Amino acid sequence: MTTTLSRPGVLPAVPVRPLVFAGTVTVCVALPWIVGAYQISLAASALVLGTLAMSTQLLVGVTGLPAFGQAAYFGVGAYTAALLANAGVTAGPVHLVAAASTGAAAALATAPIVLRTRATTFMMVTFAVQSLTATLASKWKPVTNGDDGLHTPAVRPWPGGPALTVNGFTYLYVLAAVLLLGLLMAVLLRSRLGLVLRGNADHEQRMAALGHRVTGELTLGYVAAGAFAGAGGALLIAVNRYVSPADMGFEVAAVTLLAAAIGAGSMTGAVVGAALVVFARDYLGGSTEHGPAFLGILFLLVAYGRPLVKRLRS
Amino acid sequence: MDQLTTYAVTSLDGVAFGLLLFTVGAGLALIFGVMDIMNLAHGTLYLVGAYVAATLSGGGLLALGVALAVGLAVGAGGGAALSFVLRPLGREGSHLDEALVTLGIAFIAADGMTAAFGAAPMQTHVPTALEGSISLGIHAYPVYRLVFIGVAALVAVLLHVAVRRSTPGKMLRATISDPDMAAASGIDTGRVRTAALAVGGALAVGAGVLGAPLLGPGPGVDNTVLVLSLIVVVVGGAGSIPGTLLAALLVGQVQTIGVVTAPALAPFALFGAMLIVLVLRGRTTAVVAGRPA
Amino acid sequence: MTLLQVDNLGRRYGGLHALQGVTLAVPVGARHGIIGPNGAGKSTLLNLIAGTVRPSTGTIVFDGKDLARLGPAARARRGIGRTWQHPAVFRRLTVTANVTLAVTRHALRAPARRPAVAARVQEVLERTGLTEHAAVPAGQLPYGLQRLLEFAVMLAAGPRLLLLDEPSAGLDPEETARLRAAVGALPEDVTTLLIDHNLDLVWSVCDTVTVLAQGRHLITGAPDAVRADESVRAAYLNVPAVPSAAARPVRTGRPLLRVTGLRAGYHGADVLSELELEIAEGDLVAVLGRNGAGKTTLLNALTGLVPTKPPTRIELDGTVLPPGRPHRVARAGVAIVPQGRRLFALTVAEHLEIAEATARRGDVYWTRAKVLELLPALAGRLSHHATRLSGGEQQMLALARALLTNPRLLILDEPSEGLAPAVVAHLATTLGVIASSGVTVLMAEQNLDLALRVTDRVLVLAEGRIALRSPVASLDRDRLHELVGA
Repeated sequence: MTTTLSRPGVLPAVPVRPLVFAGTVTVCVALPWIVGAYQISLAASALVLGTLAMSTQLLVGVTGLPAFGQAAYFGVGAYTAALLANAGVTAGPVHLVAAASTGAAAALATAPIVLRTRATTFMMVTFAVQSLTATLASKWKPVTNGDDGLHTPAVRPWPGGPALTVNGFTYLYVLAAVLLLGLLMAVLLRSRLGLVLRGNADHEQRMAALGHRVTGELTLGYVAAGAFAGAGGALLIAVNRYVSPADMGFEVAAVTLLAAAIGAGSMTGAVVGAALVVFARDYLGGSTEHGPAFLGILFLLVAYGRPLVKRLRS
Repeated sequence: MDQLTTYAVTSLDGVAFGLLLFTVGAGLALIFGVMDIMNLAHGTLYLVGAYVAATLSGGGLLALGVALAVGLAVGAGGGAALSFVLRPLGREGSHLDEALVTLGIAFIAADGMTAAFGAAPMQTHVPTALEGSISLGIHAYPVYRLVFIGVAALVAVLLHVAVRRSTPGKMLRATISDPDMAAASGIDTGRVRTAALAVGGALAVGAGVLGAPLLGPGPGVDNTVLVLSLIVVVVGGAGSIPGTLLAALLVGQVQTIGVVTAPALAPFALFGAMLIVLVLRGRTTAVVAGRPA
Repeated sequence: MTLLQVDNLGRRYGGLHALQGVTLAVPVGARHGIIGPNGAGKSTLLNLIAGTVRPSTGTIVFDGKDLARLGPAARARRGIGRTWQHPAVFRRLTVTANVTLAVTRHALRAPARRPAVAARVQEVLERTGLTEHAAVPAGQLPYGLQRLLEFAVMLAAGPRLLLLDEPSAGLDPEETARLRAAVGALPEDVTTLLIDHNLDLVWSVCDTVTVLAQGRHLITGAPDAVRADESVRAAYLNVPAVPSAAARPVRTGRPLLRVTGLRAGYHGADVLSELELEIAEGDLVAVLGRNGAGKTTLLNALTGLVPTKPPTRIELDGTVLPPGRPHRVARAGVAIVPQGRRLFALTVAEHLEIAEATARRGDVYWTRAKVLELLPALAGRLSHHATRLSGGEQQMLALARALLTNPRLLILDEPSEGLAPAVVAHLATTLGVIASSGVTVLMAEQNLDLALRVTDRVLVLAEGRIALRSPVASLDRDRLHELVGA
């Protein structure tokens, strides 16, 4: 797993990256005036998946843990937001905070199981966690309405604000939220915790020998990732006004991992990866009804492309 | 009293389902053992077998035999092919890339099968000779399930004997325990690997062919089977056939009795089983890790 | 004042006693060396103190506190720092980040503390001379600098007890001198436990030296006293009654193994560069050299356990052995008894069965009956799991596994490691018998005395090349000692 590290000697003198970033954000903000309603709803979906991909990247790319189960905490957050909305609380920011909290709590509850393992077994156990949580969502009918899912009223950008029923507005709300989450993630990565997680990815034994409480640190990282996934779930409700066990299912888990892999360790890369995934699955696949096949091809391209790119770089 | 027998029958269903999961899970454990990968296309192999059964088995025992032969061949080929598709990733391929490859295969295959067989679950017919039920006390029980239990139990015994007693089985265990040293001792570890993958694939597809009347083909079945067999491997410890069998029977019971009595609690029961096993096993692996080279 | 008190410490692995009944008291500020032959239990002792291995018996008290219930991290927080045999640095993080992780253990801390941490990191970098590499990922530093960084990282955590595991391994003389200076410059109240094969380093740095042998404590004392002690000489040069190389029938003198242009190494750097080697059929050859001279790399490269690079060419009796195909090499008639034995998780009988199944086709001399006659200890242990065997029995099993494949060339890597003198004597006799059956033997052995008594030719490796080759009979012993550093 590669992580992006700042290499001062390699960076060109002109600040290219900030310029590109600013340009991209401008285009993203202008998007509702450029493309149609369908494309905008796809873009909103991509942003939601991008949040989940950032959460996964925090574990896969930064901490070196091949996490397959972030969709579970995403689902927990989505159901939290849906239940709140159905109880009359429709303010999006409240959803975000509540969903991030329940996502974090769920991650904290499962961390003792998953953090006993590493590598392939870690992937297996997180996969099991994801799948069992999805099963729980489909069986716990009194709360989740089973496989029929929960429909919710439209989310409002602030308490008492207008209901987000138009795709363009919903998209802008989600974009703002994702930018905020991205900023939080950037702060986290530059914080001591970010450094500590990278250290554990590199050499866990050395960390322990320096006195670091490795399990505690990894738990913090896992809980943070759970919070981001939960927040992503709240955004799902803003976009779809609906959640069902399929939203935390196998396919979501798989494509999130793919998005993180495309990102090759970087957070912006993960969001771009999520956009690529939505493009392949819904835009290319939507017209032919072979979305899964397009995704499958993307999986193979990325899997075989990554080692190649790595070799070219070194 | 009547309720008790109902539970007994449900529990027998659990045994049948558990043995089905064992057959799939043993294949997954085998592939995990020799390649250290999680084969995310393992449920796909089961689904292929189930579709083969649904298409070919037209009522007679011979048709079932043909379906089984085709299934085993496809499974062995599919399993063996796994080592070829993973080879370009290099010997030290990352877990992420390996997972992506098997996921890609699973997605493409699932798309293809939905296109070929439709989005609705398919019915699989039991051979006429094995139709009907026999009476177990006051309850009648399908003959096919009893036969399935017998066949799967036989597979478990044969696998165990093959791994413990046969020379190839010993070479397999040597390869899992120290691949480099096994090769330096003259074992063609590449061939051992390919053979293990072929057997692992054949087990999954074979389970699909024979298990189709229990868990029929349809979109999404691949994931159900994958997850449950994965839990079997985690709980069973991937190291021994008896461990895998025990875990499979446990998961089988949870999935039948548990789902009948307390559906929302069944996932927690499986969480709990994993937690207990991982906590207990944490210690032994720590000791092994501390051994001098 | 005693900082570290170790009582009756022991660690078993199945039937193998890695360490047994060791008692030690290390006062504050001591420079305490631990020496002993390979397999003496030095690393086990160090891992037990660091907490990465749990003891089977005994107690470890550090600064008045029993460590039994503390894990490695808790021990580190109490002031135990350590290094590993391979530099344990965060390879993808910059040098600055490496040191930062040592300076602060808090994952969550207000940014207000940042300047203080940054200043501390700066100070460590300046003191160790790593400032100019501050922004370089640690994995891209040369090996010597990685060692230096590991040392700096360990010190930055502010330990009171340092556990140094072979710190001079892989360092050139100049770097070793720098290491010696660094250890010498440690604050007086920092206590050091040093394991190293480089005895010159130990004698010059340590004020107290403990000798371990066969997992047991042999002697503790001032360097001069330890050097003069007879039992230490015996431990290093445990001189069993070894019959000298007997006259053997098959000695055609024609080359069996011919190696040209051998290049091999780990992590990019070549340990062996363009090595040339020829061994005649029926010979019994010893490979000697300092630790890190490349003995194990050479032996593993011959068996295909370590990948070789072009223009390597290895021929066995005129046939080129395929690179990267260890099982083909084995079937062509090359067997290895590797360092650490590397037995499988199988029973004794299962080991033998696999070896028989992979035996070289053609003339089978070594049958199971003959092997068990040669190594009778195994006959009564056939159903035992390999981990349940004693160290000596494990070595016999590793030998039996190799022999049953009926090799033409038998390679042994440190066969006497961790064995009791009586077992070593038996091993020596056994090797003589094996050689007289016509098998060519190539062994790396740190026990010079054993090597010189059993074999009839020696090759001495130094800096990845063969520095000396000679029949034992006409060996220039002074030159040998100079090269091997004994």
